[in-house]
Formats: sequence, C-alpha cells, structure tokens
Amino acid sequence: MTQAASNVAAPLHTPVEQVRVNRHRADWRGWKFVWPFALVFVFVFVIPIMYAVYISFFQQRMIGGTRFVGFDNYARLLHDRQFWSAVGRVALFTVVQVPVMLFLAAAMALALDSMKLHGTRFFRISTFLPYAVPAVVSTLIWGFMYGAKYGLVGSFNGFFGTHLDVLAPGVLLASIGNIVTWEFTGYNMLIFYSSLSTIPHSLYEAASIDGASEWQIVRAIKLPELRGSLAITVIFSIIGSFQLFNEPSIMQNMVPGNAISTYYTPNMYAYNLSFSGNQSNYAAALAIAMAVITMAIAYVVQLRSMKEQMR
Amino acid sequence: MRNSQKVLAVMTAVMTLTGLAACGNAGNAGNAGDADKAELVFWGWDTGHTMSDLIKDFQKANPGITVKFNNTGTASDTQTALSNAIAAGKGAPDVVMLEDPTVTQFAVTGDLVDLSQFGADKLADDFSAGPWNKLQYNGKPYALPIDSGPEMFFYNDAVFKKAGVDGTQIKTWDDYYEAAKKVRAIGSYMTNNSGSSMEYQPFTAQAWQAGAQPWKVDGENLTIDMTKDAGMKKYIEFQQKLIDEDLIDTKTANWSDDWNRELNDGTIASLTIGGWMPVNLMNGAPDQAGNWRVAQLPQWEEGDEASAEDGGSALAVVSQSKQQAAAYKFVEYLTHGEGAKTMADTGTFPSLKSILTSDDFTDPTTEANKKVNDYFGGQNVNEVLSEAAQRKVSEFSYLPYNPFAQSSFGDQISKAYNKEITLEEAFANYGKALAEHGTQQGYTVSNKG
Amino acid sequence: MSNASNVAAAGPGERERDARKAERRRRRRVARDERAERARAARSGFANVANPRRSGLLTLVCAVFAVYCLFPFFYLLVNATKTQADFTSTFGLGLGRTFALWDNIRTVFTYDGGIFGRWFLNTVLYVVAGAGGATLLAIMGGYGLAKFRFPGRRAVFAVIIGAISVPGIALAVPQFLLFAKLNLTNTPWAMIIPSLVSTFGLYLMWIFSDQAVPTELLEAARVDGAGEFRTFFQVSLPLLAPGIVTTALFAIVATWNNYFLPLIMLKDSDWYPLTIGLNQWKDQASTAGGQAIQNLVITGSLVTIVPLVIAFLCLQRYWQSGLAAGAVKE
Repeated sequence: MTQAASNVAAPLHTPVEQVRVNRHRADWRGWKFVWPFALVFVFVFVIPIMYAVYISFFQQRMIGGTRFVGFDNYARLLHDRQFWSAVGRVALFTVVQVPVMLFLAAAMALALDSMKLHGTRFFRISTFLPYAVPAVVSTLIWGFMYGAKYGLVGSFNGFFGTHLDVLAPGVLLASIGNIVTWEFTGYNMLIFYSSLSTIPHSLYEAASIDGASEWQIVRAIKLPELRGSLAITVIFSIIGSFQLFNEPSIMQNMVPGNAISTYYTPNMYAYNLSFSGNQSNYAAALAIAMAVITMAIAYVVQLRSMKEQMR
Repeated sequence: MRNSQKVLAVMTAVMTLTGLAACGNAGNAGNAGDADKAELVFWGWDTGHTMSDLIKDFQKANPGITVKFNNTGTASDTQTALSNAIAAGKGAPDVVMLEDPTVTQFAVTGDLVDLSQFGADKLADDFSAGPWNKLQYNGKPYALPIDSGPEMFFYNDAVFKKAGVDGTQIKTWDDYYEAAKKVRAIGSYMTNNSGSSMEYQPFTAQAWQAGAQPWKVDGENLTIDMTKDAGMKKYIEFQQKLIDEDLIDTKTANWSDDWNRELNDGTIASLTIGGWMPVNLMNGAPDQAGNWRVAQLPQWEEGDEASAEDGGSALAVVSQSKQQAAAYKFVEYLTHGEGAKTMADTGTFPSLKSILTSDDFTDPTTEANKKVNDYFGGQNVNEVLSEAAQRKVSEFSYLPYNPFAQSSFGDQISKAYNKEITLEEAFANYGKALAEHGTQQGYTVSNKG
Repeated sequence: MSNASNVAAAGPGERERDARKAERRRRRRVARDERAERARAARSGFANVANPRRSGLLTLVCAVFAVYCLFPFFYLLVNATKTQADFTSTFGLGLGRTFALWDNIRTVFTYDGGIFGRWFLNTVLYVVAGAGGATLLAIMGGYGLAKFRFPGRRAVFAVIIGAISVPGIALAVPQFLLFAKLNLTNTPWAMIIPSLVSTFGLYLMWIFSDQAVPTELLEAARVDGAGEFRTFFQVSLPLLAPGIVTTALFAIVATWNNYFLPLIMLKDSDWYPLTIGLNQWKDQASTAGGQAIQNLVITGSLVTIVPLVIAFLCLQRYWQSGLAAGAVKE
C-alpha cells in the first residue's frame, strides 16, 4: 500500500527528478554516502577474496613447497564425496529450517504488531533474547539439555520411561536446526517487526474506517510490507545455513559416537582442511565453489525479487 | 576500461602481498640475539594459573629478560595460530608450547629451531625416554618436554568390588577382559571408547604398548601399515572383542561432559590414560573421592613391563624469533631448570628423571601429594606413576602430519565403534586416507594395508 | 454515486448549496460508518487501531513460544547457582546442594588476576567503536543507495551478495595475512575494522530509507538550498529511527558475540573479547591436568548476556517513537 501510495505520488515529481538524474551527466552524489562503507568492505572482503581465488590455483606441500596447479583443486572438488555429502546436508537443512524459522518469526512479528497481546513488551524481548546469547553458550546449553543420559531429555526418559534420544544420528540435524531456530527467530522477527512499524498509522485508521477486518488489514497492508524484508531474510538465512559451522562444531564432542564428522558441513570441512589438514589451497577452492553454489541458489530462490526491491 | 584498470591495480597489490607471504621463513642464522636481554613472547595453554608465577620467578632470576605469556587456548588453537603466523611471515612468538606429536610437523618445514645449537642434545639422559624421543627430528631435539604422560590404568575400586573384581590382580589384557565382563554384569562399563578424535591419543598409546608400528617415517618416505602390523592386529582384535560383546561404552567420547558425569557416578569403571589424569579425576569426579586407584597398564604377555606415552607437551623456539638464545634460556628454565620443579609441585606430570626419582616427588606428607593420595584412597599415587615413567618404551613414530591423523581418526574409526563396519575395515580406510594425504603433501607413501 | 449529482450541477449558487448538502451527507456517512465500525469492532475484538481489544487466546499462543525462548535462560540461571561439583552431579533444573551464585560471580571477576574484567572492557570498546561505526556506515551507505542513482550502484548489490556468500571461515586466513602485513594483528584494530562492515545493516537501511524517507521531502529540502549532508542529518535521520535502532542492535550483538574473528586475529590475552575468554575457560576442562571450571563458564555466560539485555531494554523505547515518526510522515 505504501508502495502504491508513492507510485501515485511519483508522477508529480518526475519532471524534477529527470532534471536531476541526467543520463548524460553521471550523478556521483550517492558515493558521498557510500564510500566509507565501500572502502572498509573492499579491505575486509574483496581483497581477501581475491587472495583466496589466487591461492586456490596453487598447492602447498610439506615436501616440495608450493606449485601452480591450475584448476586441479576444483577438479578434485568435483569428485570429493565428503564435500558433496556436506553440501547435501546443508541443503536439506536449509530447505527445512529456513521456512520454519521465518514462518515463526513473521507470525510473532504480526502478533506483536497487532497490539492485541497482553504484555507486548515482554513478548518482544523474550523472543529476541536468544539472539543475544553467543553461539558458543547457546549450543552448550542446548547440548546439556539434549543429553539422553544426563540432560533434561534423560530426566524426561527417566520420568516417563521413554527412550528418546535427540542426538541419535537420524535426528541430529533436526536438533541442530532447533538450536539455530531458537537463536535466530528473534533476529528475523525483529526485522519483520521494525519493517511493520514503518507502516504509517493513518493507513490502519483509514482501512479500519473503510470497514476492513483485522485479517484484511494483515493481508492487504502488512503482508505486502513484509515482502521486502522477507526477501533479505530469505537470502541471508540461506547464506547463513550454507555456512553452518558454530553449532555442529561445538556439539561435536557432546554427541555420542562421533556423529558429527570433520566434514559435517562445507564450512567445517574447509576449517579442518585449512587448519588441521595443512591444505589451505584446497580449502580456498572449496570456499569459492561454495560461494558460487550459494549464490546460484540464492538467485533462484529470491534474488530476482530482491533486485526489484532495490530497483 | 577504467574499471578493469582498477581491478588490475588491486590484483597487483594482492600479488605483492602474496609474494611477501611466500618468503616466510628465512634461515635462522644470526637470530640468536642477546641471551641476557630480551622481551620474549610465549604462546601456550595453562592448566590453572601457574604460568604467571613461573614467569615471575624466571624474570627474578634473569633480570634482563621479560616474558609475556599469551594463553592461546587449546593445543590445536595454538598450533593453528602458529601456522598462521608462519604463513604471514611475522607475528610468531619466541617460545611456543606444542603437543609432542605436532613438533615434527613444524620441524620438517624449518619453522622451529634445532635446539642442539644451544646444547639441548646433551640433556637427553635427563628426561624420560618416552617424551624425549617424540621430540627428535633427524636426530636433533626441536623441543624440550614440559610434561609427560605414561599410560596408566585407573580404576574405580568401589565399582570393581561390587562386581567382584580385584583391581590389583589385573596384570594382563586377558585379565582386563574377564574383569570387563563382570563389570558389565552389574550395569557399568569397563571403560568408554567411541572412536572419536578424542580417543586418538589413547589409541596411539595402546597400540604403541602392543609394539605396533603403524607408521614409519624415513625422511620423505612413509610406510603406513594399519592392519597387517603384528601389534596393530593384536590391538584391533582385542578392541573388536570389547565392541562385539558390548563391554565398553561406545557412545561416550573422552573429555565430553557425559564422560565426566559417568566417571563421577561410576558408569565408567576404569580408564587407560596418561599419568596426568589424577587432577582431572579429582575435578571431574568429585563424588568418587576415595574410590579411584591407579595401577600399571595391563600387559599383553604376563611379566612384561611395556609402557607407552599418552599426551605430553613441549616447548620449542620459533625460527622467526630474533631472540633465540634468551628464548632457549626460558625453555630450559621451564623444562629442565627450577621451573620444572615448580610445575611438578602444581600437578604437572614431570618428564625430568631427577624429579621423578626424587624423594620429594613420592613423599606422601607434602601437601600436594596428600590431597591426591586422599582422593586415591590413601594410595601413594606418584610412586606408581614414577615407576611407569621409568619403564622402557619401544620405538614409535607419529606421522609428520599428526594433526590431520588425529582429526580424520574420528571420521574413520568411529564407524567401527558405531558397529557400521568392523574395526579392521575402519583402520584400512583410515590408512587409505592417511596415505592419500601423505601423497598430496609430497611424501612418497607405501601403504601396506 | 455522489459524483452523479455533481455532473448535474450548474450555476454558482446551486453549486454552493450542493457543496453544503454534500458536506452534510458526508458527515452523516462518517457517523454511520463509525457506528457500524463500533458494532463490528465489538464483534471482532478489534476496537481501535491505537488501542485494540487484547486477545487472551493470541497471548496464550505467544506465551508458549515465549516459554520455548526463555527456557534455556532458566536452565542457565539455575546452573549458574551451582558449584562445579553440583553441576556435574545434580539434576539440571533443580538447585544444587549449595547456592553458589554470588560466589561464582565473585570468582568470575577474580579468577586469574581478574582477567574477566579486562575482557569485558575490551568487548565494550569493540562494540562502541566497531558496532557504532558499523551502524553509521550502514545508515549512510543504505541511504545513499536508496536515494541516489549513481554509477556503480547496481554492482554494489551483486558484489556484496557475492562476497558474503564466500564462507567466512575460509576468508579468515587471507584476512589474517592482510592484517599481519599491516601490523594490525594483536591490536584492537584487528577487531574493530572488520566489525565496521555490517552488510545486513546496509540492506536494512537500504530498504528502510527507500520506504521511510519520501523523496518529495528531500526535494523540498534541496529546493530550500540545504546541502546533501544537512538534508541527511536534519531530514532523513529522524525518519530512519526504527531502522537505525534495529541496525545498531544487530551490529552490537554481532560484535559482542563475534568469536571466529578474534580467535584468528588476537593472540594477546589482554585484547581478548569475552567470547574467546569464555571459550578458553571451557577448554580448560579438556586439557590434560587442567582444572574444570564449567561453573565459571556458565556464570560468565550469564554475565555476558546481561549487558545485551540492558541494551535491548534501553533501545526498545525507540520503536515506539519510531511508530510515531511513521505516523507523522504521511
């Protein structure tokens, strides 16, 4: 609705805009605002990435030093079963966890925004609070609770005579998904929520006077407003899931029977290759390949709509 | 066009950086520095907060030298940090603490200093053979041992009694096996082993004790033999029996939270682990105070006295250091000099023979010893440990890429403890992975299976 | 329908009469609508957008979710009251044999020469400089991207998405090498400079600026002769308040909880942030001969979370004012 409103308003100003945004004389004013970010970004991301691309064409060995190998590292990756099993695992994780988390986050944001809750402030902070916990700590806490012998699951089993084991290999990924959902629902909720709070209040009043029901307001005003935030949360969640690292690596030693291998996720694999495997070159190739895969998926899923958003 | 020029400029900058990174370690000639005047940086991990006291004492004895200790986290964090600093060509410490088997990896690439130039080779007879041997590369010492870990047999006497087992009578692995069955009958487990990377060290120690030589290193040639070697066969067969008959807890990894709790409530009745374990037991299993005992490792043949090493760490001087002489002085102080005694007093298991055989070390009336002995039901713990440390050890070499060997151990071997495949198959896969990695690292590898 | 009568109208007097009539009609209609609205609202429970009828059922559903969110905190709190011995041997949700919360807190701040306090201050420094700077850069960048059409603008989007898709773990080594070359490792700069980039914040501000700052308002300010930066600070910034608060909060939490970056960059315990320090304490339990201090890890975690909770409570006021700002805008 806001978009509709601004579209209606737009024609009035078009002549002014056309004078200012002259196609032949580039308008560089925007850079005045963007350059500080761009500068740091180039320093922290772009140069290191170029370096990673560069070293991915070499191979460093304990005996015989470093040599140029062209695309060998990438070719090796194609046949690396451990790599593809890791990619498959995070893909599965993404497909299940991201929708669940975003649904919960959006529902909670709408509930908070409806102002129909008793104690809105309490719910707002309790939903967000998990995000404030460092991943190290939250994984530890959940890990303690998950324990089938000594954790709360164990106590539950003892009490009800059940044999639940949420750390069994079959359900382990879901249990990790639960931790991630717990950590990040509040984060996404807040994005949705603050985007809802930019909706001008008069719009609701107008709608309400027009006799729109609560649900009609949600569908006609609030959900379209969420679309923009949804696009970025989806992209960032996909990227985040594909880079899953902290939770499984901290849980590695809490899970019975070494169910979390050193190549459980692509990021863990990269980490182990470069830090205990002495293969930073191969790890760099893996990182670049992962970036390409992630971007492809992000593009297919959401990038198009996001680009529209950023027009 | 302008853009591509910019890209080119950045690329050039990157290449320059890379070029700089490539020439990391120059030779270490002329980096000795002043032996009496230096500001040293020391990376390592700390078991409590003994390091600051040690450094104070050292600085008092050497007024010209200051030492800055940085607790760099776990052994693997420290090793990662060192690798990074070496790659960057600067920022490495003067002195670094490493796990014994990792020392070779850095010695091979020339990133650690050969300590014989400072006379360290003459100290060989002062240290226990086990830890000393692990720190040699090409016959030269590249680090001095700060502690050691003779593999011991710890058991919970209360649980054993309940199961009708006399711990003092477990002399061989056959006795151990019989005891394991009785312990299992009352619901406890003889021990735990999940085949995770946390059980890599105990594995090497027990295979070592069985006389196994899964890895042989001869310069650039490696021989890997995980399943055909006689010692390995013994080890695999025995472990497989324990797995098949459900005599050990295959779900719990060493150092996990569950592990401490199972030690604390008697679910795990015994451990074969390094001689540094008493402090960890006292901390992790406080409820079992008075119940634990320590004994020599069970033997493969009755009457043997074979021992092995589990764990242990060492101090090395980094090639990047410009103050190597002073750095060595500090290393010597902590491992061989006054500092070694202080460390032994605070619970580090010493590798220095003079301390191991001193009356002080086994004196049950010193405060530190009394505390430990009380936990062990009045047993003179250090007496048992000291005996183990002086036992003979057979030759055993680790792979020069030990960190990889450790991390991939869990990936491969846990499958057998999970009962997906047999232990022999798991070790065969493990050998293959190790051989492949060795080849990639430029070694000539022959894998015998 | 009412338009039809306008078409038929002719002559100035008639027109005036018609207008008055229309006005009366309109008033009547509004009154009728309001009545109907009140009746409808009474049925549906949606009484007034500013102060709607509260729903017990919705509250209950949300309460279930809140329990899920808060339960681990309860666990953390309970276990922070335990000694190390009680932690390993007593029921997770029950109290230990001794109540050791105050002791634990004291020990956290005195252990190892009071190093925890130093870590705490370091973290505050990183948050103020890093997250503060990140928020500023994100606001400026997002605003610039939303409100100007400049050469290279479209590329910014693609470049950033591409860059953050590269696993951060693999970038750690190149980043470390770059910083080492410039002698920045082991200094606070190694923490602060990378923290200045909040890509997510940039996107948030991009979207918020697009939605919350009307271009007409900017044009008006420009017509009045205000420079770009004056327009930005005086006109746009107030409108962006809710977005800024959100961005700042994310930057603060991200910096406060950053673990991997300092792990690689900092090897001087005097510059560690809390996360690295806590993790080091946790690892002490799995060091041969090491002393397990999980009680301190848990209590330390609790202490680490508290400032973030306070920050959140302080910042959440701004969402209300954000709502107001949104209402003023139209």
